[in-house]
Amino acid sequence: MLLELKNVTIPTFDQKCVIVNNISFGVKENSIHAVIGPNGSGKSTLAYTIMGLELYKIKEGNIIFDGKDITNLSITERAKLGITLTWQEPARIEGLSVFKYITLGIKDKTILKERVDESLKIVNLEPEKYMNRKIDETLSGGERKRIELAAAIAMRPRLIILDEPDSGLDMIVVEDFLNIFNRIKALDMTILLITHREDIGMVADYGTLLWRGDALLTDEFPKVMLKYCAKAGLKEFCKRTLYKNGGVCFDNDYIDKIFREENMS
Amino acid sequence: MSKTGYPEEILQSLEDYNIDIRDFMPGHGKGAKLLLNFNKISGIEQVEGVILQGKEIPNGIIADVIIKEGTVHEEPIHLCFGVNKETGIQEIFPRIIAEDNTDVKIQAHCSFPNADGLIHKMFGHFYIGNNCNFEYSETHYHGEKSGALVAPVAYMYIGENSVFENNFNLTKGTPGKVKILIDIYAMKNSVIKSNIRAFGKSRRDSIRIKDSVFLEGEKARSIIKMKAAARDGGEVLMFGVTEGNAPYCNGHVECSEIVLGKGSICRARPFIRATDPTCSVSHEASLGRFPQKWLDEIQAKGLTEAEATDILIEAMLNED
Repeated sequence: MLLELKNVTIPTFDQKCVIVNNISFGVKENSIHAVIGPNGSGKSTLAYTIMGLELYKIKEGNIIFDGKDITNLSITERAKLGITLTWQEPARIEGLSVFKYITLGIKDKTILKERVDESLKIVNLEPEKYMNRKIDETLSGGERKRIELAAAIAMRPRLIILDEPDSGLDMIVVEDFLNIFNRIKALDMTILLITHREDIGMVADYGTLLWRGDALLTDEFPKVMLKYCAKAGLKEFCKRTLYKNGGVCFDNDYIDKIFREENMS
Repeated sequence: MSKTGYPEEILQSLEDYNIDIRDFMPGHGKGAKLLLNFNKISGIEQVEGVILQGKEIPNGIIADVIIKEGTVHEEPIHLCFGVNKETGIQEIFPRIIAEDNTDVKIQAHCSFPNADGLIHKMFGHFYIGNNCNFEYSETHYHGEKSGALVAPVAYMYIGENSVFENNFNLTKGTPGKVKILIDIYAMKNSVIKSNIRAFGKSRRDSIRIKDSVFLEGEKARSIIKMKAAARDGGEVLMFGVTEGNAPYCNGHVECSEIVLGKGSICRARPFIRATDPTCSVSHEASLGRFPQKWLDEIQAKGLTEAEATDILIEAMLNED
């Protein structure tokens, strides 16, 4: 496993409540692993905690990355080990050029131009059009997200945590993002995909269902998705979606069984 | 020394502002130039439509820049007022006149790389005629010892239908003691953009800048943007003034400052005044630190908090 969470509990900032409760799961190297669950289930909190953001400290448990316990490492130390995160709503740091922003995480300063070029192309932006633009309000939300993703790709991290990469994007753009995720995977990077949308998750190899702070299931993504639908009582949607996307074939009896288990028949 | 006899050390700091120093060198580039080495004129180059004259006085010069009516130049006029000595007094009295229908830029550079007890004063008058497009950019570098005392004063008259952009940058090196006063008088239909940026980096750095725009003509418009940072005991006061004194004029003042490290002080005083019921003036000011999310976003790329802060300061001071 590239990343392992062992009995991780994350409290609220005031330590009075628990957001994520004693969860454990692993992320395989060079896979796309989706953490899926409804709004408020603790997905983004989990993402920020894995990244090591200042305000997100775990109360119990350990985070292991490539065999090393990183529980007490800072965000910078984790990034240097090869973990990075893209935000749901990346900031507009107006005085920075796109070029400068993307180069921030590139260690080898002799390859800046070619790495920026390549990263922008992976996210389907033309380098010559964007390189000298400022990260300001003239960029659309979708462009800003692509640039954020390009900056992450340019780092060549081992693990990219994508926090709700689809938020605020239209369907056509979402489809494009799914192709981008596969390109990232082809570059030997691992993706931890935080999402609440099944169509985004369908690109994943594996998944974890986070439900009200508990990790209910970690398995191949379609099985996780089925469980998610069963918990939410979305049988027809589940049948339609799981057949439509990725050619996953659960027969109706199996789907009915899973729903019965959740008393959602 | 360069081949032209002008100390390159004075110009070197321009590179930190992404300005090509060769543009300032006599014999290079197409623009007009005036170079002052302490209190001696080292070189003057004129171009068609631009008259540059300098007269040496005991502690500095009187410099006249006259842009003849209708002159349009892409290439900026370069003015360099440099001192590579540690101490001394340099006083500049520039008189800048842009006649009607001109379109020019002036790139001025005040550089004191070894300042340690050096005094630089300027008392400038600008007259920009009607229907002009005029940009004045001034970059400063006061060395690394916080050893300069710099006190420029400028009065600027902007004629009807003219667009005037003023850019002042003091973000590289250590400023020392700086006190700047700029008064801009905007006539009918003129547009004023004034961008001030400064960075105080130690207890020995104290920067006070008062940038005032008086909207004296009907439908004159202005925006003042003042951005500053103070760290490790540095002190910055930004005083942005806009007065609306004519019908339908419109002005805005924006001050944003970042305070870093114990003992640093940032103060912002946007001041607005209206004497005509049809005019509109507004202001906004913010002081504080960068949002944690911005720091996190950059640190997630492997930079330390200090490195991320430097990047954000640079970005803020580079904003349009």
